Amino acid sequence: MTREIQRGEYELGAHRTLLQEFWRNFRRNKLSLIGGVIVLFYAFLAVFAPLLAPYDPIEQFDAPRGMRNPMPPLSRDVDGRLFLLGTDKFGRDILSRAIYGTRTLLQVAVGSISIAMLIGITMGAVAGYKAGTWVDELLMRAVDIMLSFPSLVLAIALVGAFGIGKIKIGPIVLSNIVKIMLVIAITYSPRFARVMRAVVLQEMAKDYVAAAKISGASSARILLAEILPNAIPPIIVQASLMMATTVLTTSSLSFLGLGLQPPRPSLGLMLNEARDFLFWGAWWYVVVPGGLITLAILGFNLLGDGLRDALDPRQARRRR
Amino acid sequence: MRAYLVKRATFGVLTLFIASLLIFSLLRVVPGGPVDALIEEEWDDPVLRAQLRHELGLDLPLHLQYARWLGNILHGDLGVSIVLYQGEPVGKILLARLAVTAQLALLSLSIALLVSFPAGIVSALWRDRLPDHLLRLLALGGVSTPNFFLGIALIVVFGVGLRRGWGVGGYIPFGEDPWGWLLHLLLPAVVLGTDHAATISRMLRASMLEALGRGHVLTAKAMGLPRGDLLIRDVLRTAMVPVVTVIGNSAGALLDGAVITEVLFRLPGLGSLLVQGVYARDLPVVQAVVVVAVGIRVAVNLVVDLTYGFLDPRIRYGGNGR
Repeated sequence: MTREIQRGEYELGAHRTLLQEFWRNFRRNKLSLIGGVIVLFYAFLAVFAPLLAPYDPIEQFDAPRGMRNPMPPLSRDVDGRLFLLGTDKFGRDILSRAIYGTRTLLQVAVGSISIAMLIGITMGAVAGYKAGTWVDELLMRAVDIMLSFPSLVLAIALVGAFGIGKIKIGPIVLSNIVKIMLVIAITYSPRFARVMRAVVLQEMAKDYVAAAKISGASSARILLAEILPNAIPPIIVQASLMMATTVLTTSSLSFLGLGLQPPRPSLGLMLNEARDFLFWGAWWYVVVPGGLITLAILGFNLLGDGLRDALDPRQARRRR
Repeated sequence: MRAYLVKRATFGVLTLFIASLLIFSLLRVVPGGPVDALIEEEWDDPVLRAQLRHELGLDLPLHLQYARWLGNILHGDLGVSIVLYQGEPVGKILLARLAVTAQLALLSLSIALLVSFPAGIVSALWRDRLPDHLLRLLALGGVSTPNFFLGIALIVVFGVGLRRGWGVGGYIPFGEDPWGWLLHLLLPAVVLGTDHAATISRMLRASMLEALGRGHVLTAKAMGLPRGDLLIRDVLRTAMVPVVTVIGNSAGALLDGAVITEVLFRLPGLGSLLVQGVYARDLPVVQAVVVVAVGIRVAVNLVVDLTYGFLDPRIRYGGNGR
């Protein structure tokens, strides 16, 4: 493959840290930069939701005479309050609900990916370390079986098992949102297990691990201190791509009425409610939550692709 | 090849068995369940509860319940619906629903393949030029737009804007009105197909580019082989293996998308049955749909394995070449 040698690329003495190297690779791709900006925008919305939202997301406002909720963008209520993006069927401010809905969506996505990573990395690390033994066989067959369920079907079945809304298992009460995080984490943890196992297998064959073994390091030490740091890049790539999937699954569950429950502001639920008002021409009711979900998925996809190209040059060359 | 297939098939059956065991016990660990759904609050009393549990066989130990269920399945009996369609055999409901989902799946896969192959090939051949940029942008949009949003947008355009009866969903059996059948399935199939078309065309582009850079393709080009021959024999065939994997994944996960599209377009298929079953806590229905979903996945994976052997002689002759 021929490529123009860029100025300064092979300059002598241009030592770069790993982070600089990564940034240089990442920056080259404009689309991944856009993805990064989109993700930052969502993080900003989620963190500062209480400051950004003009109204309480569950407060209901009355439409003035001659008008009905849902009201179109730029309408005012009886007391003259302005609603930039209109109101929903109960007279709640769409903009505020969208901002808080974004916050909830990211909470669920980040929460479930964290739990999925914890479960998946542990499973994958143990399986990889014990490769070829019955432990590995057992864990990986379990992963295969989990992956044989279509993911949304599995998530729906798990909601079916736990019930809709909050659940009680003996003395433990789980709020609905934690339950959804668990459901999604269970659904997606096998994918992290696969990535982690592959990394551990690859690293175990290297000299530094052999050196650590010879010098008498314990298994836990080798796994945590030696191998785990090398697993961070592929796990980050996987996590970013899985964020897109998780955002989709979370809002799909809410759209079906099996995820977040009213009156909690949720983008998927807003779309579900909006369906009843399509014939009124209430486009804002659909476009705002739908657009926000789509843009989030787009952002995480772009960022994930960019991270993969920047962190895994072998893959990147294949794709270019 | 045969040994390989037998091994894969055995594994598939085993997967199905364990998956069914998992889903069966999972749906029974949480207290309440269907009994809660069946009893109205004012009639609630322990005697009635116990009686119901006994009638539904829920008072037996878990392993006995499972053995009974599995034994019945082997005789073609999937149990009866306890809440949704009280007393109807699940097998009968399932077959009717499966037919609708299968029609939707076939139509959407055809759309996906018809769109993604030309798109992926054009994208790879005109790499980094205008057609490629446009098609990649479209594919990125297709991957990122959730099914339910695209579906609602189409309903707004065709149902609300253009006031078409078929634009708002519903289902007409083929036997009643073939044209109406097609029109009613068209929008949901487009929604479902868009997602898969985007994924398949992205993979096709990537793996064609890789194949185009391979040594044997360059040699053939240098020897002056006709472009068409070269494309089909050398490039497409080499590029197909990862593409087949992606198509298999799409086909195996069709029920995921079907859940959303069927609910949105009010189609009486398996996906909407699953959601209704979960709402109603109708255990026999839910577990039957999930087992069918896993069964479809397992079957599709077997077909994919067969295709690998057909595409790549190394797998065909080398036992388990993967």
